[in-house]
Amino acid sequence: MNDAKNVHYLQKDNDYRIIKEPGILILSSNEAYLTLPWCRKYFQKEPTEGYFIYITKTPKKTLLTNTLICSSNIVQSPTNLIIIEENISAKLYNTCASTKPNLNGKHFGQTKIIVKNNASLTLNHFQNWGKKDTVVSQTDLILNQNSEVVFNQKCSNVPKLLKMTNRNFLAENTSLNYLTHLLSNSGNIKIYDDTYLNGEKSKGISRIRLIGKKNSNIYARSRMIANTSGTGHVDCMGLLLDQNSIITAIPELINKNKEASLTHEASIGKISDEILYYLRSRGLTEDQAIDLVVNGFLGEDEKIIIDGNLVSSKEFM
Amino acid sequence: MFNLNSLDIKNLSVEIDNKIVLKNINLTINNGEKHVLLGPNASGKSSLLYSLMGFPNYKIKSGTIFFNNTNISNLTIEQRAWLGIAAIYQNPPEISIKLSKLLSTISKKKINLSKINNLLDRDVNVGFSGGERKLSELMQVVSLNPNFVMLDEFDAGLDVENLKNLSFIANQELSNSSVLLITHRGKALKFFNPDFVHVLLDGKIICSSNNWKKIWNTIKEDGYERCKKCALSSKR
Repeated sequence: MNDAKNVHYLQKDNDYRIIKEPGILILSSNEAYLTLPWCRKYFQKEPTEGYFIYITKTPKKTLLTNTLICSSNIVQSPTNLIIIEENISAKLYNTCASTKPNLNGKHFGQTKIIVKNNASLTLNHFQNWGKKDTVVSQTDLILNQNSEVVFNQKCSNVPKLLKMTNRNFLAENTSLNYLTHLLSNSGNIKIYDDTYLNGEKSKGISRIRLIGKKNSNIYARSRMIANTSGTGHVDCMGLLLDQNSIITAIPELINKNKEASLTHEASIGKISDEILYYLRSRGLTEDQAIDLVVNGFLGEDEKIIIDGNLVSSKEFM
Repeated sequence: MFNLNSLDIKNLSVEIDNKIVLKNINLTINNGEKHVLLGPNASGKSSLLYSLMGFPNYKIKSGTIFFNNTNISNLTIEQRAWLGIAAIYQNPPEISIKLSKLLSTISKKKINLSKINNLLDRDVNVGFSGGERKLSELMQVVSLNPNFVMLDEFDAGLDVENLKNLSFIANQELSNSSVLLITHRGKALKFFNPDFVHVLLDGKIICSSNNWKKIWNTIKEDGYERCKKCALSSKR
């Protein structure tokens, strides 16, 4: 992990600063739109906020971005564009978060990620919001031929309303491993995740892990669409930790090619008594046993950077 | 007399789903003793383990369980674990937690992890072979530094070599613990060389002896039915 202070793109409320990195062009989206005519086609309109990252050389460091709400009643509308050039391998660590729990912020984010031929990208995206925030995000991930993407997305503290739309477009011989972990504590969550297998031998995996507690209402629809002879798998697992939460999980397969192979899996339930008894017989209290299972469900702990501070991704869970 | 870390079961009857599965069980296991509980499938062996461990669906209808002269009949599972009671399960559940994480959370003493290096980074019991599962169970229990350990069907699903190795580890690592080995196959007996053997049939201990070879030879030749009428039955 880089020095926590060296976040390459740091946006606090509506202001930003950039730290340059050799071989990588980092600009505000607005500056990119105005100075690089070739990239305008990727924007629907002139962006006002957000970053542009153009990677033409395999970076030695993990690239870091922070988009933070730090003040009350802020409205953010970042439009981000990431382009990974051919044959480049890159790792990005993006954090979108509120720095305090009651800022009543609004974050409307759009991100487009283009991974060109033979390139690979590992992207860890961490979100941590306040209880009064509203977050609507859309991410388009475009994989060109022979490219690979591993996308890990975690949201440890959800806002009061979170709507995430992810669309993944896979060209020939590409591979996508998309994993979303989300812990909802009294949030209203909607996730729409579509993966299009548009090229032969494309492989898409989309996994969603959801935990609902304290009157959460989570709706997750994960769809795999095979337009060519690819292979795809979607699965959605939910853990309900209280009686008043609802998780709706809809894995959907649409196969338009008889050579394609699509599978799905979904399960929602509580932590089984068998597991809790087992862990309690190892000396854990029921609460400790639940915490342990929840932590396991949420995957590996990772270090993330929020506003210059290195913290555990599970610190708030 | 005060007997440290002894288990003393008095007239224990247990019910699950409105069915009596253990009937008037009396059993004493003193500090450092190794006992084996033999019995056919569905005789109530595992029910005794779960009852002693405090699983709430096993309801004590009558009788008392003492451990270290404390009545533990109404203690929760974890309270019994804190007293040093532990179990190696025949069919432990699969859990999405790395074994290393589980061990670091539950361990009360440092253990040699070299034997389970290849398992540490895997989710507990997920895709484990029979031998790996037993080894994982054993090392978890060793890390708890227990006073009394129950091993449920320890010899199930293991070839002789694996059983020999695991029994060696168990004998070595649990040498200071009292042990109750539960089995219906008896494959593990020669490796454990128990001090006492008991036969459980239809929820009742019908035979107890300090000569496991004699008892096991009888069962091997004539099956558990012979035990019902066997004159070899001898009280300790």
